[in-house]
Amino acid sequence: MGCSAGHPTPGKVLLLKMADIDNKEQTESDQKEDVEDVEDIEEEDASEDSKARQLTVQMMQNPRILAALQERLDGLVGNPSGYIESLPKIVKKRVNALKNLQVKCAHIEAKFYEEVHELQRKYAALYQPLFDQRCDIINAALEPTEEECKWQGDEEEELSDEMKEKVKVEEEKKDEEKDKPKGIPEFWLTVFKNVDLLSDMVQEHDEPILKHLKDLKVKFSDPGQPMSFTLEFKFEPNEYFTNEVVTKTYKMRSEPDESDPFSFDGPEIMECTGCHIDWKKGKNITMKTIKKKQKHKGRGTVRTVTKTVPNDSFFNFFSPPEVPENGEMDEDCEAILTADFEIGHFLHERVVPRAVLYFTGEAIEDDDDDYDEEGEEADDEQEGEEEADEENDPDYDPKTEAEMLLLMSTGGRCLNDG
Amino acid sequence: MAEKNSKGDDASVEALPDKQPTESKGKAKLTAQVMPNPQVLAALQDRLDSIPQPPPGYILALPKAVKRRVKALKQLQVKCAHIEAKFYEEVHELERKYAALYQPYFEKRRDITTGNVEPTDEECEWHSDKEEEGELAEEMKKKAAIDEKKEESEQDENPKGIPEFWVTIFKNVDMLSELVEDHDEPILKHLQDVRVKFSEPNEPMSFTLEFHFEPNDYFTNSVLTKTYKMKSEPDETDPFSFEGPEIVDFVGCTIDWKKGKNVTVKNIKKKQKHKGRGTVRIITKQVPNDSFFNFFNPVKVSGHGEEEMDEDSEFNLATDFEIGHFFRERIVPRAVLYFTGEAIDDDEDYEVEEGEEGEEEDDDEEEEGDDDDAEIDPKINYSSTMPLGLFSFHNP
Repeated sequence: MGCSAGHPTPGKVLLLKMADIDNKEQTESDQKEDVEDVEDIEEEDASEDSKARQLTVQMMQNPRILAALQERLDGLVGNPSGYIESLPKIVKKRVNALKNLQVKCAHIEAKFYEEVHELQRKYAALYQPLFDQRCDIINAALEPTEEECKWQGDEEEELSDEMKEKVKVEEEKKDEEKDKPKGIPEFWLTVFKNVDLLSDMVQEHDEPILKHLKDLKVKFSDPGQPMSFTLEFKFEPNEYFTNEVVTKTYKMRSEPDESDPFSFDGPEIMECTGCHIDWKKGKNITMKTIKKKQKHKGRGTVRTVTKTVPNDSFFNFFSPPEVPENGEMDEDCEAILTADFEIGHFLHERVVPRAVLYFTGEAIEDDDDDYDEEGEEADDEQEGEEEADEENDPDYDPKTEAEMLLLMSTGGRCLNDG
Repeated sequence: MAEKNSKGDDASVEALPDKQPTESKGKAKLTAQVMPNPQVLAALQDRLDSIPQPPPGYILALPKAVKRRVKALKQLQVKCAHIEAKFYEEVHELERKYAALYQPYFEKRRDITTGNVEPTDEECEWHSDKEEEGELAEEMKKKAAIDEKKEESEQDENPKGIPEFWVTIFKNVDMLSELVEDHDEPILKHLQDVRVKFSEPNEPMSFTLEFHFEPNDYFTNSVLTKTYKMKSEPDETDPFSFEGPEIVDFVGCTIDWKKGKNVTVKNIKKKQKHKGRGTVRIITKQVPNDSFFNFFNPVKVSGHGEEEMDEDSEFNLATDFEIGHFFRERIVPRAVLYFTGEAIDDDEDYEVEEGEEGEEEDDDEEEEGDDDDAEIDPKINYSSTMPLGLFSFHNP
């Protein structure tokens, strides 16, 4: 152990290796190098060996928590704590004085974030008229004027003539249909299907219900209340449930944790509560009935029993697991909640503010970058001279490339999608 | 039409040349590159991000009436982007206000690290982090105890303040340590404080890093500065890429080096052979030398930095912006935690919102030389100021 001045922290080397698993192009010699480094570190400190190994196993099984585990690894090896321990006592005292100052800074930071939250609340009110207009257009309560529908750089001009023809035919066909489409049909359902984080949750039997989703709104806690935000899902009347609005509230902690003040990095989602859905008879798709055959142990007779069990559904989103008082939670529960918080955050920060861009697919590239960390890292590391060639290539035609990639990909989604 | 298959199979790629013979040459070349090499696919994907794409199939297939309405929504979205710009201006105001609130603490920090002020015993009380102690091996502890006793018994010069506070931080942070050469270290030992100053309300948005040095043998400046200029309005041609203020340019400063002390240049001897006569001569040339202090070199960024920049420059610019941002957001506010190493673990959470996740790992890439992402947009926005509701699940 010791300072890692100028030397790549072994933890980071391990990260490279993990990314390599996804990418078979990595040269063997590089891999060997990575492997050796990792092994060296693991031998160095026997007392932490098993811990590091356990983490490694977890990492190898679940690339999704790679980043979180990476920091843990960095904490175990190659950190400067050895250097700090070796400082003269008097200097250590002064370092502690700095740490006390730092705690005070953390509390000031908490106030800063409260004021940011205030600002967000203020701006939410400024965005709302625009979001209301959006809702009206989507739900055919309002027809925009010609002026309001102008959009420069009509993407259609970029298409080949052949594709333009095809588009025109489709348009005319649809215009001829008897029911002229009202508003933007299936707007929110399409948004959900375009966002990986959400589409993973949406089952086939959820889709007919989500077609009735009219609007998605974010409401902030009032000043003076504990910091929280609520997602409001507004549904038009439908045959599945009677609720007009289905809500999910996320509560946040906006003060440093006394026992660990330095982990404070701004408000954090701590827990969430859903709401009760009043399902109409026979329409509750969060449950399913299954028949089970049971054999009587003594008599050997067989009977068929009907059981009701939970069913996968997006609507389970509104019945999240509870956070127990003592904070002890099994792994599955923790994973569900972590994913849930991620979804809540994403809906709040990205989807609601920019819904149309998720509808058209324009926003999706950016956000996949945020969430597809492992895939992106592997790819980014592999870029080399090929890039330069393309830039200087006189034959390189971006439009052509775009068309080709469009054809190769599924509906314009990111190529890296699994 | 060609099949939609994301694995880059022959059918979809080869279909195109038939339909557009005039462009087949370009396509064929591109095809040849793309097909065997998934790396290129990734590179193309990044390129795709920066050029306007045709909308996906289902959008094109929408009835005209619906398409109109989608365009109306996009107009609304542009308006939202402009409101968002105002939001970020107000956040900047807030940061300026809070910078003043932090200032007394940072000044105290400087006083303690330089030894100008001795903290009281009470101010030094810190519940020893039992977790950290537990992780240290027994031998480590024994060694530390021996070292301490040695220090005390030797009655060496009573160390003033916290010696080498900032240079230690530089060495602990990979992004910085990679810039620090051996010959920089003696100079950095004289670094007393690093501060962040924000632009005033009516000025264009920017922030300045101030590096305060005590008098030294190397240069006469007492402060070296670097100012990062930001753009805080959506780009008219691409309003939806707006994610908050972005660093778009910077201004360094001139270092008044003392004679013979300029570590940013070095003299090399070159052998030259006269082409005609064949005689050989040795000339001494002054060439740039790797040094942290190149950080202060003024460099002109043309326009938005997107045109006519080679891969290396673009990459260096992006790294530079990242460093500036990192100083401002993490190092200056939390310096002691980088000194002790506690904050280094947290840095992996550090988000770069342009979607350039690769930049986090750039520290590793630099070792490998050519693994640059030429598409890294040198602009880094700092909306990661508000990691509201990061999904860390709190486990008490």
